[in-house]
Amino acid sequence: MGLLPMEASGRRPAFFETPGMDQLLSMILELAAELSVVRERVFILEAVLERQGVTAADAIETYTPSAEESAALAQLRDDATANIFRTLNREHRPVTSEPL
Amino acid sequence: MPIDLQHDMKVPHRQSARARQDFVSSLRAYILNDMAAGMKSRYREAVEPRLSAQLGRPPATQDEVHAAMKGDLYFKFYSAVRYNAQEMVWRSVVPGIEASLPAMQAKAEALDGRAGGSLTLNPALELPANVTSVDVHLMPGVYAAPDTPAAGAVYDNGLAVFAAGFMGRDLNDIGMSMANYVRKRFPDFRPGNILDCGCTVGHNTLAWARTYPDATVHGIDVSSSVLRYAHARAGSLNIAAHFHQMDATHLAFPDASFDVVFSSMFLHELSVKDIKHFFAEAYRVLRPGGLLINMELPPNQSLEPYDQFYLDWDCYYNAEPFYRAFRDQDYAGLTKAGGFPADGFLQFTVPQYTYMDDDSFTEAVQRPPSIDGETGRLSATLQWFGFGAWKR
Repeated sequence: MGLLPMEASGRRPAFFETPGMDQLLSMILELAAELSVVRERVFILEAVLERQGVTAADAIETYTPSAEESAALAQLRDDATANIFRTLNREHRPVTSEPL
Repeated sequence: MPIDLQHDMKVPHRQSARARQDFVSSLRAYILNDMAAGMKSRYREAVEPRLSAQLGRPPATQDEVHAAMKGDLYFKFYSAVRYNAQEMVWRSVVPGIEASLPAMQAKAEALDGRAGGSLTLNPALELPANVTSVDVHLMPGVYAAPDTPAAGAVYDNGLAVFAAGFMGRDLNDIGMSMANYVRKRFPDFRPGNILDCGCTVGHNTLAWARTYPDATVHGIDVSSSVLRYAHARAGSLNIAAHFHQMDATHLAFPDASFDVVFSSMFLHELSVKDIKHFFAEAYRVLRPGGLLINMELPPNQSLEPYDQFYLDWDCYYNAEPFYRAFRDQDYAGLTKAGGFPADGFLQFTVPQYTYMDDDSFTEAVQRPPSIDGETGRLSATLQWFGFGAWKR
């Protein structure tokens, strides 16, 4: 590893005035990604176990979800995303009434 | 969902990486549809009325809108999430590519020359500053590793995640939509030689070969890495195309050698000065009766201030330094500056060719262009924008 760069050059912009807020948001997004990865893994693990018993690790590595299963996974992701950003939806209480 | 690359240059990604790509792609679709709609409502309902009251008139420029939106919490979240998602696109594909570098190199060598295509590199070419001084689209080390197809692989795999399903199964919907626009709108025009400028991995170059199977298709880019990948990719798809390492502002082709000069998502990577050089070169290498055609974002002058601001987000936050300066131009004026006659100018909007049947597309291309806040932006209601000019 380390042959190809993982990060773009240049400074990352700060979108928030509160120190640490931008980094915190990145952490949350990475956490969300991790959770999504785990959910997908578990989903597949269960499917594999259901089909053929306990030789899970190798089977998971080569597993390709069916169209139906992919749709179910997409739904899981969309539900998770809607949860994470629920504070931005207008039907919920606003986070702040920040004047311009 | 990210699309699965449909060619032999694709690399295996571990299941956990594929799941991460799935997440990032779904997140991008959420940002571009749901959050974009939420932000626009927020603007209409809260920000714009306050701004209009402050100014004593409706906002007239995107700078006024941008300045007001910067203070809005929805905008901060939209921007921060979108920025992070952009970083995460690349992070989700790099490890799989890194693990496959030797295999990819071997595959590229094995595919060399298949399908009758060619690759002509020019190691003496000086890379322009617009690709060496900035990691465009936040793509890490965008033109690094010139002797391998690595940058091409990062671009192609990244695009598959980034596109979030909006660019077609073969990531070629832009090329297919543009080429088929020409085929349907101008049925008597039968190009024999076609040039794609700033072609990167050739995904849209090959669309022209598919649409005009009798034509000879060329693609140029300044990066040898993306071209090595493009050449192998075309070979694996069994489509003949000729790739050259060349700068679009200094084409090495003789005068009057092409019927079509095409570009997609390319002009906004160039300074206005370079766009004018490119158009002058396009005019030179086109035959009389030939067509310059560019797929791009619509011009700012055709959009409301909010929509201008929305599309120019990339200029401020996605390492696209020339994006806005290009979109502030009068596109007809740019083609005229390149030598094209004023009455040769054309502009149009088209729906996505690979997402619909041929008859519906045929009907759609006869309609006059309709440019609004949805034009050219990735969303569920996408219409591509194109413009160009005929050489008389």
